[in-house]
Amino acid sequence: MKKLFIIFGIVALASCKPNLKVDTPTANGLDFSNYVAVGNSVTAGYADGSLYRSGQINSYPNMLASHFGLLGQSIVFKQPLLRSDAGFPSPKRVLGYYTDCTGATSLAPTFTTDPVDSLDNTNISVEGPFNNFGIPGIRAIDYLIPGYADLAAAYGFPYAKRMFTNSAWRPLDELKLSSPTFFTLWLGTNDVLGYALSGGEENTTLAIHPNNISDFNQFRAGYDSVLSVLTRTGAKGVLLNIPDITTIPFFTTIPANGMVLDTIQASKLNAATGTTMFRAGNNYFIIQDISAPGGARQMKDGELVLLSIPQDSLKCYGWGSLVPIPKRYVLTHDEVAKINGAITSINAHIAGKAVAMNLPLVDINTFLKNAMTGYMYNGVSYTTQFISGGAFSLDGVHLTPRGQALVANEIIRAMNSFYKSTLPMIDVHQYPGIRFPL
Amino acid sequence: MKKHALLTATSLLFAAVSFGAGFQVNYQGLRQVAMGGTGTGWMWDASSIFYNPGGLARLKNIQAYGSVQFLMINTQYVQTPTGGYSERSKSQVFTPFNVYVGGRLREEGKLALGLGIYTPFGSGLSWNNNWEGRYVIQSIAMQTIFFQPTLSYKISDAISLGGGFVYATGNVKFKRAMPVQDNAGNDGYAELKGRANGVGLNLGIHIMPTENVQLGINYRSQVNMTVRNGDARFVVPAALSSSFPNTDFKTEVPLPQVFSVGIGVRPVKNLTLTAEVNWMGWKPYDTLFFDYEDNTPALQDTKAPRNYKNTVAFRLGANFKASPRFAVMGGFAYDPTPVADGFVSPDLPDADRWLVTTGLTFKATDRLTLLGALEYGASQKRDAEYLPENFNGKYQTKAFIPCIGITYDFR
Repeated sequence: MKKLFIIFGIVALASCKPNLKVDTPTANGLDFSNYVAVGNSVTAGYADGSLYRSGQINSYPNMLASHFGLLGQSIVFKQPLLRSDAGFPSPKRVLGYYTDCTGATSLAPTFTTDPVDSLDNTNISVEGPFNNFGIPGIRAIDYLIPGYADLAAAYGFPYAKRMFTNSAWRPLDELKLSSPTFFTLWLGTNDVLGYALSGGEENTTLAIHPNNISDFNQFRAGYDSVLSVLTRTGAKGVLLNIPDITTIPFFTTIPANGMVLDTIQASKLNAATGTTMFRAGNNYFIIQDISAPGGARQMKDGELVLLSIPQDSLKCYGWGSLVPIPKRYVLTHDEVAKINGAITSINAHIAGKAVAMNLPLVDINTFLKNAMTGYMYNGVSYTTQFISGGAFSLDGVHLTPRGQALVANEIIRAMNSFYKSTLPMIDVHQYPGIRFPL
Repeated sequence: MKKHALLTATSLLFAAVSFGAGFQVNYQGLRQVAMGGTGTGWMWDASSIFYNPGGLARLKNIQAYGSVQFLMINTQYVQTPTGGYSERSKSQVFTPFNVYVGGRLREEGKLALGLGIYTPFGSGLSWNNNWEGRYVIQSIAMQTIFFQPTLSYKISDAISLGGGFVYATGNVKFKRAMPVQDNAGNDGYAELKGRANGVGLNLGIHIMPTENVQLGINYRSQVNMTVRNGDARFVVPAALSSSFPNTDFKTEVPLPQVFSVGIGVRPVKNLTLTAEVNWMGWKPYDTLFFDYEDNTPALQDTKAPRNYKNTVAFRLGANFKASPRFAVMGGFAYDPTPVADGFVSPDLPDADRWLVTTGLTFKATDRLTLLGALEYGASQKRDAEYLPENFNGKYQTKAFIPCIGITYDFR
């Protein structure tokens, strides 16, 4: 009788616990033993205006590689990890306090005071070939340029030089050292981004200058070569298209009509300029425009001010009112149209390649567009807003680790739907977001 | 020039908090619990004050009744598609209780008076502080105590009526992580606490056409539990403290009206069978608002959709008087969820429930009876989404509820 009671007790307690079965993830034939991620700065884990160790560890390819481990496959994923978390080659930004020219102190991105590590300049190609082939700054066209690593280093991008076995090679030759079993390919953004970050200041003497939008035929040649190398041994993979870069915080944080004046300031400016264009409230900034009478004009809606503009010049030195904002800090309608045209062609090509090569396409472009009004994930609304949006890091261009994880989940979603794998989603919130100071 | 606002739209706060169906605890009488939750039709004891005040006038003498329940609820969450993440709620024990005193003032009289003190809503759920849904909910708890002075009158041998006024008091408490991290990577969090109160009615008719048949109709009104001066506390990195000031808040939780019809029959001596239907009016619970006294661009009042639907629960019970001293009981019930697909939140994820119940009474003396009951409930495994905060997964809840009680007759 006593025994019966004990058994009853055990059964009762056991049945008190829910027992939902956790499925075993399945790869449905995908082989991740040699996953290679080709891409640029975002793929490398670049964030907060630099490349640093924890950013590399929190890159979407590294997240995916460790997540693929749930499948029980033996996976080696080599990254060209830096020694330092302070940034390479220059310090990263952290959120701190900045006192501006008016004496007001506010929360703003500031450079970390942690020292950078000069040993990070050492070539580490003996550790390769690297599975994370993300190279900050690289364009599709660069894959066919011999001596790219040295050229890029001269422009302040020493990343390939650090990773490559031979800096005289084309990046494509370096990539051939890898034999992927699976790949992600996210190239093309920098074929447009350099132009946008320079405020549309093209270099007319050097066609392959980083400030120029890549020639489409050259882009296509570079992109297609990379894809043939990646698929040459029959690897399956995923293609990502490129985002509308004009929607990222670097271009949207300062509005075209961001000059707020009171009545006195407005009348003073009108008197000084002999005009009546300044009014109390929001005013459109005055920008350089050689085609306008007097070489300056007011900004229009849809034109963009770059986050790189010196804030003190705006606040205290008359930029945007008495001093027209130099054109390298502004994207005009024509420049925005040029950027959008290039993005459309590049994405059309990537979409065509996905169909032709029978590969899933991750539509990052649409994902980011939708995120402008907020992408709700597990109780947090991610937006394209600077800092408060949670997805973009302190440089306004690259992603936070949580932003990286959101990308990783879009890749998993595309894989599950195309390859019929059953990979779970990554818990975005196990990774850091923006960190706030005391 | 205006500095761009660093902190707008941080996140809707507490959109998922519901204080809904999961908080309802139907344990206001142990014989009734043991009989699948049926209690509107057949009158047993002073707990009629809750189940059907119309039946209190059937109680020949004043009876004191007390019981306590040990509510052990466990919920499991599995992320979908599954395989990556699963979490179990922390083990907690809640102790709803009931105290009733009431009955006819004189044995031959027609008027009965009573007072009921009971806890029809009171439960909670607590997740690991770092769990995947922490920005939706970390912990939630609600306690209510209803005070119900009751009057019942026997119109004839067949019909009696009764009614009570309900004053409800209680408190609500919940906590949620905020997606703002300090330099060490610690999340901020928000903790809201408040006292709530409300009023309502409990009305009933009891009909006894023959010795062996009883019928009952009961209506319990909606009770709006109002929090007027809750405390909202935000623990965030110092850089953000002016965006999230500690402040008072207001909110309101409507507890549903319930309309019940029950029947009890005694086909053979010593055996009573009962059946009951409850209609629950959850529909008014369509939104949940939080009104903060101090607002900032980051801390705005919120209004979250709940979209509850009305439900109908079915219950069956049996009572077998095995000997003059012992009776054994059993029953089961089907209690569907008012929570619509797309609105299942992890605060107390609700799903259709099947309940199996049993119990025992022991008449120790002529006046004293000891009661014991046991309920086991398992919710359907629900593949659920909480669309307002895009939190998806599979949930299952199991509850194991032993109850003990005592009645004492003054005669």
